[in-house]
Amino acid sequence: MELFELPAWTALAPALLLALTAMALFIIDSIAPDSRNSGLLAGTTAAGSIVSLGVAVWYLLAGVGTPTVDGGRGVIDVLGDQFVVDQLALFFMIIVAVVTALVAVASYDYMEDHTYQAEYYSLVLLAATGMSFMAAANSLVTIFIALELASLPSYALVSILKDNRGSVEGGLKYFLIGALSSAIFVYGISLVYGATGHLQLTNIAEVVEAGDADPYGGLLGLGILMLIGGFAFKTASVPFHFWAPEAYEGAPAPIAAFLSSASKAAGFVIAFRVFTEAFPVGETASAIGVDWTLAFIILAIVTMTLGNFAAATQNNVKRMLAYSSIGHAGYALIGLAGISAGGGELVMGAAMMHLFVYGFMNTGAFLFVALAEYWGVGRTFEDYNGLGRRAPVACFALAIFMFSLAGIPPLGGFWSKYFLFTGALEAGLLVVAAALVVNSALSLYYYTRLVKAVWIEEPVTERDALSQPIGLYAAIVVAAVMTLALLPLFGPVADTAVDAATAMLA
Amino acid sequence: MEDVFNYAPAIALFPLVAFVVALTFGKYMPKKGALAGIIATGGSLALSVLMLVAVASGEVYHETLYQWAIGDAASEIGADGIEFTFGILIDPLAALMLVIVSLIAFLVHIFSLGYMNAEGETGLPRYYASLGLFTFSMLAFVYADNLLMAFMFFELVGLCSYLLIGFWFRTRSAPSAAKKAFLVTRFGDYFFLLGVVAIAATFGTVAFAGDNSFIAAAESAIDNGDTLFGFGAETWVTITALLVLGGVIGKSAQFPLHTWLPDAMEGPTTVSALIHAATMVAAGVYLVARMFGYYALSPTALAIIAFVGGFTALFAATMGVVKDDIKQVLAYSTISQYGYMMLGLGVGGYVAGVFHLMNHAFFKALLFLGAGAVIVLMHHEQDMWKMGGLKDKAPITYYTFLAGALALAGIIPFSGFWSKDEILYDALIIGLEEPIILAAYAMALVAVFFTGFYTFRMVFLTFHGEPRSEAAEDPHDIGWSIKAPLVVLGVLALVAGIANLAPVAKLAQIDITFLEHWLDGEYGAVEGLTYSAYGELLAFETAYIGGEQLTVLIAAGVSLLLAFSGAGLAWKLYNVPEPVAHKERLGSARQTLESNYYQDEYQVWLAEGFTQPLARAADRFDQTVIDGVVNSVSTASLFSSSRLKRIQTGLVTNYAALLVAGFIGLLLVLGYVGGWFL
Repeated sequence: MELFELPAWTALAPALLLALTAMALFIIDSIAPDSRNSGLLAGTTAAGSIVSLGVAVWYLLAGVGTPTVDGGRGVIDVLGDQFVVDQLALFFMIIVAVVTALVAVASYDYMEDHTYQAEYYSLVLLAATGMSFMAAANSLVTIFIALELASLPSYALVSILKDNRGSVEGGLKYFLIGALSSAIFVYGISLVYGATGHLQLTNIAEVVEAGDADPYGGLLGLGILMLIGGFAFKTASVPFHFWAPEAYEGAPAPIAAFLSSASKAAGFVIAFRVFTEAFPVGETASAIGVDWTLAFIILAIVTMTLGNFAAATQNNVKRMLAYSSIGHAGYALIGLAGISAGGGELVMGAAMMHLFVYGFMNTGAFLFVALAEYWGVGRTFEDYNGLGRRAPVACFALAIFMFSLAGIPPLGGFWSKYFLFTGALEAGLLVVAAALVVNSALSLYYYTRLVKAVWIEEPVTERDALSQPIGLYAAIVVAAVMTLALLPLFGPVADTAVDAATAMLA
Repeated sequence: MEDVFNYAPAIALFPLVAFVVALTFGKYMPKKGALAGIIATGGSLALSVLMLVAVASGEVYHETLYQWAIGDAASEIGADGIEFTFGILIDPLAALMLVIVSLIAFLVHIFSLGYMNAEGETGLPRYYASLGLFTFSMLAFVYADNLLMAFMFFELVGLCSYLLIGFWFRTRSAPSAAKKAFLVTRFGDYFFLLGVVAIAATFGTVAFAGDNSFIAAAESAIDNGDTLFGFGAETWVTITALLVLGGVIGKSAQFPLHTWLPDAMEGPTTVSALIHAATMVAAGVYLVARMFGYYALSPTALAIIAFVGGFTALFAATMGVVKDDIKQVLAYSTISQYGYMMLGLGVGGYVAGVFHLMNHAFFKALLFLGAGAVIVLMHHEQDMWKMGGLKDKAPITYYTFLAGALALAGIIPFSGFWSKDEILYDALIIGLEEPIILAAYAMALVAVFFTGFYTFRMVFLTFHGEPRSEAAEDPHDIGWSIKAPLVVLGVLALVAGIANLAPVAKLAQIDITFLEHWLDGEYGAVEGLTYSAYGELLAFETAYIGGEQLTVLIAAGVSLLLAFSGAGLAWKLYNVPEPVAHKERLGSARQTLESNYYQDEYQVWLAEGFTQPLARAADRFDQTVIDGVVNSVSTASLFSSSRLKRIQTGLVTNYAALLVAGFIGLLLVLGYVGGWFL
């Protein structure tokens, strides 16, 4: 017996804490508008996200979302099922909070001389709040609102370097594509509402299961497809990926890390929730005449292929990482492509694991780029030549990130990719599994190219000793340690992910 | 007595400990590891004798010690699962062999004190460590209770002989000889491994003894007329038996894999003694004896063994005739003698084969150690033409060596005569019914003549006549550690024949065939592993020339006559004060013999003319086709990458258009499949 029971709305605490921290930053900023006390601001942001992380982990360990028959506390509904806190939600809240904390710590150095620091940090927190709410949103309305809450600060964050053309241009492109995608998404919501008469996910599922939506099969199908468009935008999947290379390249590197890790994960969590909860595979197929997994199969193959192939010959490191991030979205899409009537928890769990590992290795990789930008060494592979001799610790961490991204055993990235592979095989998606292998092989080429540049190549020009910014270093080292620590920790992570996926598909 | 078997693992473990001790502390020990080896092999000998006594008192030991893998795959005959274990099987055969091996190893260690330590060799800890590991591997092989364990230690024996043959690795020839020995025997072992896998897959067991041995399983499969892997049971047993035989032919240096053995003389002479008498080469024949029940099921395999044995006996003996190096002569005699053992086993003469294995172990160890003594006497000269006259200067070496030579030549009453005669007798009585065995018998019989000739040519050239070099006039001293092993083995070479005086027993009708009773399980025995049990499996008919006793007399008489005439010819040609080479009289045959029938040449030709071009072709295929495909894949990838990059034009209007186009494309595909447009 617990000593006291918290009220149900506190289940959303991980998201609410992020929002509260953002408010706190506003207060700090209104007290001292011209303050450049980046220690206080970054510290508050990091502290808020770490508390959010702690609460989410605590909830998960305390059994929130675990079925009551297994001794857990069951799924907690908030606001009449508009939000739901289960294992899936907590899992992704953890990813968002972790990435936010890493980004905040790294920004301490990166944004040191920036004018609008309080705005920067509060925007990061507001976007994180949106992503955290995305993890828990359980109705198409709350999903859309949370998604916009995550998106709007992101546009501003990408273009926050106002004197930098690339930053402003990237932000504008991101915003324009985002507006188009939101339009498609919200239109999709209206079509689904038209076909089923509901916005809440479980209610939609009831209508679909009862067969009441069958007369509007085409309408529902188009609506579902448009929803997929909205998710594809958020996860930077083809063909809604066009914003990603330029936005990532133009944005401050910590923001690129934030968007490519946390924002992508949040995009996936709504996709997982909507498609497993609202549109059960079998019943939906009888309504719209086709398995929606087909769309994800196509998207997965095209996205991973385009992402990896375009990454292969980039000269700009950040742009290479941007395309690699698209490629990884393609890997994670396998988690949706492999779902079938009565199966798919393994492959969906594998996708969740991959996003979790990705939260560390990809954030770490972008933060290394942030470090390079901080040093001012340049943007291309050649500019990175010989960094290993000047900054061995950071470059060792980079090697870990790259090999993990490429999926080299025994690093975390290998295991999640391996589970995706076996999951795809189990689901009978031979083509997808083959594409995964081919693309992973290709990705090894450009990831090792970066490792080779920093460790083996001779520097193009002699450079002086490099400084060691404490925040960036700390964030990179933590990300590297976590990428390695996932070896022993992979069991619990995998169990949680598969449990969450099983609960969703049950 | 049963308790003594608890110490059985120690027989093999003692030398293993000596190996570790010599390797780690050898440098700091007074005799560089020799004492550790002597104590260990002495301990093994004592325990082995205890085992022998225990078996004599009617006990046997068959115990699984450690199970290291269990599989659940069903085998071909339908038995479920298979276990891989380490276990010990001590039956009369294993107990006898344990004593032989540990005795020879013990004597070789003692001899090494005089041969290696006293001669100031370097690298002695390595030498003694290898000897220890060698002895360990062989002893463990001898009492292995299953085929896989036997295979593992068989391989370890091969590795150790590689290490020891290449002991003087700074010379040019020793490393090359070691490599040759390793590779040639490995070629045979490859088939052995296939045989092990085939037997395991067929019968689901690799045990030598007991109700679930593969031998019992094969017997019942043949009785039931099963079909195994598409073959009749007997055919399949023959195939697997011949695969295992590949390892035997490699290790026991039978034609055509005998070429490594003469080169193996590059190792120290003590090592040659060990290899030839008790370990490496003996391992092959011992394996046939160990799983004799399996071979007994297949008359075809037995006939092949017999024929290969008979042919090798003659083939090697003729090459021994023209060798000038004392160790070379002995090397060819070894090949020839193992041919006899194979012949004996091949005609079902299990007792005769094992008997000769035992006698040969004694007299060949004696001859090699004697040759080692001669080499020490001659200040490390091995050419017999530079010796002569050692008879009076080193009487102990001479008389013991002579005992070994008489045994080798098969002169009554030395041990070699009794066992060789028994093999020839067994071959003759079966040969009278089976022409192919008769051919094998004839070849082995002719080989007796050559054996007598080359043996006494060696004795006369080495010890008789006048000294033909300064070294021979003033030989080096030899110590007790060299003489003592010679005396022990010399006595054994003379008297070991008493163990099984079969001709006497048959003629005089008295019961003195002790070894036959021993191997037939009159004392302790494991069921199914006895001479009479094997005899029931054998399908050979026998015939006699005018009664058993007359046949015995004819067989013994003919072989003795040939041995004497060979020895006599050598006496006439070489027992003169100043012997000269008579090779010219051989004419064109001489070149062929000196070149060992061009066996090395054709094997080198096979490697260079066949394997190497094949390897080159494979390499070219890899370089062009495989690498070409790989390279073109990468070129194509990078090319498509540079194209794909261009989709990202930088114009946001293009993006919006492409985005919508992509979405519509997806819509069309799904709509078409889902039938939304109908």
